[in-house]
Amino acid sequence: MTNPWVVYLLVPMVKIVVILGAITLAAAYLSYFERRLVGFLQIRLGPNRVGWQGVLQPIADALKLFSKEDIIPTRAEKLVYLSGPVLIIVPALVVFSVIPFGPPTNLFGLLPQAIPPYLTDINVSVLFVLGVSSFGIYGIILGGWASNNKFSLMGGLRSAAQLISYEVPMGFAIVAVLLMAGSLSLVSIVEAQRQAHVWYVFPGFVAFFIYFICGVAETNRNPFDLPEAEAELVAGFHTEYSGMKFAFYFLAEYANMVVVSSMATVLFFGGWLRPFPSWGWLGFLDVVPPVVWFLAKVAAFLYCYIWFRGTFPRVRFDQLMALGWKVFLPVSLANLMVIGTLIVLFGGGR
Amino acid sequence: MSVRKLLTEVFHLDLLGGLWQTARFTMTRKATVPYPEKRLDPTPRFRGMFGFSEERCIVCRACERACPIRIIYIDGHLEEVEVDGKKRKKQVLDRYDIDVKRCMFCGLCQEACPTTPKAIWLTTKTYELATYERDLSLYFRKDRLQSWEGVVAYPGVVAPADGQTPDDPGGTGGKERG
Amino acid sequence: MSTDLHLIQSMPDSEEMEVSFGPQHPATHGVLRVMVRLDGERILDARPIIGYLHRGTEKLFETMYYNGCVPHTDRLDYTTAAANNQAFVGAVEKLMGVTIPPRAAWIRMMLAEMQRLASHIIWLATHALDIGAMSPFFYTFQERETILDLFEEYCGARLTLNAMRVGGQPLDLPEGWTDRLRVFVDQLPDRIAEWERLLTDNRIWKGRTVGVGVISAADAVNWGLTGPPLRGSGVRWDVRKALPYEGYDQVEFDVPIGQNGDTYDRYLVRMEEMRQSLRILRQCLDRQPDGPVMAKVPKVIKPPKGEVYHSVEGPKGELGFYVVSDGSTQPYRLHVRPSSFINLQVLPELVRGHLVADLIAVIGTLDIVLGEIDR
Repeated sequence: MTNPWVVYLLVPMVKIVVILGAITLAAAYLSYFERRLVGFLQIRLGPNRVGWQGVLQPIADALKLFSKEDIIPTRAEKLVYLSGPVLIIVPALVVFSVIPFGPPTNLFGLLPQAIPPYLTDINVSVLFVLGVSSFGIYGIILGGWASNNKFSLMGGLRSAAQLISYEVPMGFAIVAVLLMAGSLSLVSIVEAQRQAHVWYVFPGFVAFFIYFICGVAETNRNPFDLPEAEAELVAGFHTEYSGMKFAFYFLAEYANMVVVSSMATVLFFGGWLRPFPSWGWLGFLDVVPPVVWFLAKVAAFLYCYIWFRGTFPRVRFDQLMALGWKVFLPVSLANLMVIGTLIVLFGGGR
Repeated sequence: MSVRKLLTEVFHLDLLGGLWQTARFTMTRKATVPYPEKRLDPTPRFRGMFGFSEERCIVCRACERACPIRIIYIDGHLEEVEVDGKKRKKQVLDRYDIDVKRCMFCGLCQEACPTTPKAIWLTTKTYELATYERDLSLYFRKDRLQSWEGVVAYPGVVAPADGQTPDDPGGTGGKERG
Repeated sequence: MSTDLHLIQSMPDSEEMEVSFGPQHPATHGVLRVMVRLDGERILDARPIIGYLHRGTEKLFETMYYNGCVPHTDRLDYTTAAANNQAFVGAVEKLMGVTIPPRAAWIRMMLAEMQRLASHIIWLATHALDIGAMSPFFYTFQERETILDLFEEYCGARLTLNAMRVGGQPLDLPEGWTDRLRVFVDQLPDRIAEWERLLTDNRIWKGRTVGVGVISAADAVNWGLTGPPLRGSGVRWDVRKALPYEGYDQVEFDVPIGQNGDTYDRYLVRMEEMRQSLRILRQCLDRQPDGPVMAKVPKVIKPPKGEVYHSVEGPKGELGFYVVSDGSTQPYRLHVRPSSFINLQVLPELVRGHLVADLIAVIGTLDIVLGEIDR
């Protein structure tokens, strides 16, 4: 296992293929589960016709979107219009290169040595996630502008303003975790939670709350789905997109939901750790593989996303801004000071 | 600002009630009727596709007059017929057409019909009227109104049972739908 | 608000944009088209353009027998067919001087109140959907189905009822109908409470509705608003109380009013009106007069020469029919006073200076149906 071709090319390539495939499939099936769950929430059944209980629905949707006519509006800015979906899907998928799905594993002895189930662990992965996922906004703004549609333009502009205002409190919420963990590496943050014998959600509940709400806002989901507010802007920035170009926007939105949920899991809920990792008498929980713990936590967050969508009305643009700047920003700053003070006083500062 | 108000403001506690409500709805029975497999039975007075009986019709044209959009076309002529050995003049129906594609199913023709039981009625409990050929399938001549031939291919359009009238809409049977 | 507007207009580098909302827009309730002049997200002016659903109904009435007009009134405002029927036959009966039997009036009142419930339920569903809450749509429609089932059981149709005739009711109630109505009336208050739990205290809902589309009581009267938009501004005017028709002087009910005349108040007024309708229905169910359902009227209706105006309190406001008769079997002229049409006029006043999202909320709160506006 020291052959550099294997270590530096074959293993990463296999990982990339597996992660990309899994994420794309997960995003597609997330749309199925969303429709099903929102259906149940609204006392109806949701899609249940394609295959058993409709499980083939995402595949049917994909086939439909593939075979649809590819319309480019006559007066659209063609190059920019075409690059919009690419600009949004690429960052959404690249982010997954640093998400730690679990600890190094040898797949029940199938592999000669344990390899980590994530692509890489760079020492600034938190910054990497924030930076790359923010890059996806270009796809929305440029796509909205290039469509040459007033509704799309307004959707794109709303999205830009929304992203900027929610990036700030979200960043401060994450800084609280970084203070506790003392590292910017996601893997180290999980390990730090093991050493601290506690998930960071307990000392940092305020930070978690702000992070998650800002995450909902950043992914343009209800109740903050203003850029694509159906009742006001028809479909917002993707009004003019159809076929696979629309599918890319769609996939990117769901992939971003998975990113936000994964980050919430890693930063606040101990990543792949089982509940209360230091309590020995809960050791029987270890029969569940760590990756499953991780996925279960992510699924719980995704359920919250869907639950919110089925429950809340949409906020108005100015209220969205007010919430971000007037409530979450001061609260996250105050939270940061409280946590910093506590760490200094009680000699945390690992 | 009290602590409680601050907490509510920051953590949006006022929204928990709505979340609880939708969570409860998630558990309740679903209202969906999986349509082609399971069909709801229309009520006895439901105004659906026409039933028509040539024997009962006395060619009085009350229905033609009552129709607000005049989609009933009636032609008839006088004929001498022997009834109980006496020669009497009687109207005979030549044409009884309904342009169903324009019909708005108001039921005024049925209301105007003076015969007992009614010669035209809409309580046949049929509501699946979609077709591929609009002129052929939704322009009914009297024989088709009576026999429903050629219409049975469309699921749900069933012939009215014997003796089915508005006053006895259940008819004498054969009306069970899956 | 007007000073606000002044500021915007005087901004030197503001770039105005004209957006055509509709007629194929998901939230304009059918085929309403609103030409909106925008500065960024702020509305400088909004101009409703109507007529995409014009069918010439008023002219059509002139070619029809009086009873043949009834199914066409169903199609004015297709969510309030019973109220339309009631207003039309009421006008013709007034012209003919016919008093309908008590049992017919009783059935009409029940149908009208059920229709009010159904219409308010549709309003709540679409209003909430416009503001982004998609679930109330399904919860409310489930209850509306029960009302439509009762309609179907009574007259054979769910939406376009054609349930009333000049001189009374064409049919008596079927067996057991009142029992099923009572079950529904008993369970609806719980449902209304559930819907309110989702919306009334929800801060997002309040944020979207409180202070949006405010109109003062004096302005509301001057603009000729009726129904919940008028009562939301605090004017206690209800045709059922002011000019009682049928049995409305024999039942007890309150006319809820709002205070601020904003979207939230109109929401509260309509929610309370649903409870009051249930109260009327409960009193109707306790009464149950016997007797015929049809007065002695000739088979072919031939009102005397003359003209008459009769209005009822429809779910969306005052709904009136102005009938001119030349003594023949068909109306000489028939004019409708549509509540939605007159309520829609005030839209530009209500949204000026607000944000785009408020336009949708205000269209929802006016509760318009284009079938009635365009006729």
